[in-house]
Amino acid sequence: MKTEAFGVLQRVGRSFMLPIALLPVAGLLLGIGSSFTNPTTLETYRLTKLIYEGGLLYTILDIMSKTGSVVFDNLPLLFAMGVAIGMAKREKEVAALSGAIAYLIMNASISTLIASHGGVESMAPNSTTTSLGITTLQMGVFGGIIVGLGVAALHNRFYKIQLPQVLSFFGGTRFVPIISSLVYLLVGVLMYFVWPIVQSWIASLGNLVLESGYFGTWIYGVIERALIPFGLHHVFYMPFWQTELGGAMVIDGNLIQGAQNIYFAQLASKSTQQFAVEATRFMSGKFPFMIFGLPAAAYAMYRAARPEKRKVVGSLLLSAAITSILTGITEPLEFTFLFVAPIMYAVHCVLAGLSFMLMHILNVGVGMTFSGGLIDLTLFGILQGNAKTNWIWVVVVGLGYALIYYLVFYFMITKMNLKTPGREADDEETKLYTRADVNERKQRLAAGENTSRLIVAGLGGKRNISDIDCCATRLRITVKDESLVNDSLLKESGASGVIHKGNGVQVVYGPQVSVVKSNLEDFLDSPESENINIEAAKPSQQAASVAKNAKPCTLYSHLTGRVVALSDVKDEAFSAKILGEGVAVVPDEGILHSPCDGRIEKVFDTKHALNIVSDEGCEILLHIGLDTVKLSGKFFTVHVKDGDKIHKGDKLITFDLKSIKKEGFDITTPMVICNSEDYEEIRTVCKDNVSAGEKAIEAN
Amino acid sequence: MKSFTYVIKDETGIHARPAGLLSKLAKKFSSEIMIEKDKKTVNVTRLMMLMGLGVKCGDTVTVTVTGDDEETAFEEISEFFKRNL
Repeated sequence: MKTEAFGVLQRVGRSFMLPIALLPVAGLLLGIGSSFTNPTTLETYRLTKLIYEGGLLYTILDIMSKTGSVVFDNLPLLFAMGVAIGMAKREKEVAALSGAIAYLIMNASISTLIASHGGVESMAPNSTTTSLGITTLQMGVFGGIIVGLGVAALHNRFYKIQLPQVLSFFGGTRFVPIISSLVYLLVGVLMYFVWPIVQSWIASLGNLVLESGYFGTWIYGVIERALIPFGLHHVFYMPFWQTELGGAMVIDGNLIQGAQNIYFAQLASKSTQQFAVEATRFMSGKFPFMIFGLPAAAYAMYRAARPEKRKVVGSLLLSAAITSILTGITEPLEFTFLFVAPIMYAVHCVLAGLSFMLMHILNVGVGMTFSGGLIDLTLFGILQGNAKTNWIWVVVVGLGYALIYYLVFYFMITKMNLKTPGREADDEETKLYTRADVNERKQRLAAGENTSRLIVAGLGGKRNISDIDCCATRLRITVKDESLVNDSLLKESGASGVIHKGNGVQVVYGPQVSVVKSNLEDFLDSPESENINIEAAKPSQQAASVAKNAKPCTLYSHLTGRVVALSDVKDEAFSAKILGEGVAVVPDEGILHSPCDGRIEKVFDTKHALNIVSDEGCEILLHIGLDTVKLSGKFFTVHVKDGDKIHKGDKLITFDLKSIKKEGFDITTPMVICNSEDYEEIRTVCKDNVSAGEKAIEAN
Repeated sequence: MKSFTYVIKDETGIHARPAGLLSKLAKKFSSEIMIEKDKKTVNVTRLMMLMGLGVKCGDTVTVTVTGDDEETAFEEISEFFKRNL
């Protein structure tokens, strides 16, 4: 049970990666754009001549700021869709649409209730926001995530639902957006009543911070970090930044309230000797862990990733780290481990709180526009001079933080085997389909299986189907060979009509067709679909021929790679046809496939070759590489044993292509017919490049 | 009928290449040439069966030649074993 929950959690974490991948770019746009369009910044550094509203440079920066910001503003929507896509098992596009709709519905529901209870004014300050033009509760990405997870659950449960005939148009995948809308209408109502309670509880924590001195600053830091995933940090820190809760001060004769307001008033004032730490204690703490700590954590994750995955995760982590360093936008980085390793996030919160406290103690007075990246540190710390800000301490503490984050994270990841990016097991996807999933799938299959079986047979077998789609009432299939389609079998499966258009076949089922399609797709994914024998429906022509021991047969390529004529193989045993007629392939990948249906006669003890007798009696030798008998089985993994029944395309042997080559062996892999004398003609029907499973040899 | 017993000395045994050569050689003769290992007997001309025996270094095999040209066949086949296996 525990591992199952863990597996689900990991899948959730991975489903976040899609929207997260966008964040570094958006973060850079937003960070750079907004820093240099901030009026106080521009005035302080006398940039108003260069960057002014309406000017070219300002407009460009403003576009950067706004386009970056639109991503962050709509992050909940992206999560609602992205998580739905990630968690849906099938028909993911329907889940995405449903996620978007459900998110809109939930907010509309909340919005109406807010309006009917006196509007935004009657709500607690900072508790509401506008999302896609809808006034709603401030729920951050949490709002999107509950939509995404819920919709995916509804989707997986209902995407194959069958409704009574009159309503059947609304069945299957079409039912998912409908049920999602209804459910999230209610969730919206529920949220309206529940969320403000949570918010007010959080807001009341503010007093605790004020009453506890340095320790209060630590609490502030911890809570602020911990609330980010829930979007609750706004109700928490905004009062400190913008209201008297964050302090009040008379600057140049004006009473200024709120930490950020105080800082900016001081920045604009010529009389400021030193920035008031009472205000900046709610801000400066971000710099050490955003510029130094988190990037070091990213490096720890990179180091802890498996070597072959490092390149891939490296690009994600590096871009996320740069975003954090430059702009102080940390979500891209934090979200990579928040869901897969919540305990790491907990440690991160504690350390973040400590950073705020240290900055308070060390009297650091660096402010910020919205977050603690290098840009803000430069503008509001370094350029203001150490005398006013003590910014040097940010670097000193920061370097220590880099070391601590790296060591703590690396230690936690490796000791607790946390599945941060690049550490997932390779067969994760398959692993996630546990027994329960398989059983569930079996049950679902049973219902539609007979129908699907008939359809596959009617369409000339699985291999004859190249594409499946459906419209309101018809299953639309593209087949490879139109002549193999059997209308009577299709009608037997419940179709009311069959229409042929070249290679396109339309089978009319009526409105329940989307369920038929889903069942069919499930069936085609199961190994059973391979066994549908269309020969049963077609008169066999093979039985009649050849008096010899072997009947005519077709062999399909055993590998993907470059075709080499057997006479060109650099081994006399093959080139002189001593072992028989055939063809050779220089493989691109190390997977040997069965060229036909048949039986394993003998796997060589040295694993580099095997003999197959096809159902037609054709005796085939597959020999991986030349002279590879000398490897004594090293680099080969055999997946079959003597006497096994096999089918065309089955994986027989996997081998380590690179290592074999490195050992100096020619990897040319012949496929020869040992009983060539039983055939009148053996013809190679492939050339140049071939994919495993394409026709290779015709033997008559 | 003539027969001989032989202990395989070649490191890799009767794998694809020697099996192919042996099988090809055997086809030259009209005599029936059988090879026996661990009470399993196969016709040497059936290449796949021959490989299927899985004869390895150190194994003892018995080769039996029966037919019109058994003299020359025996001669050449035993020579082949000594030289290649």
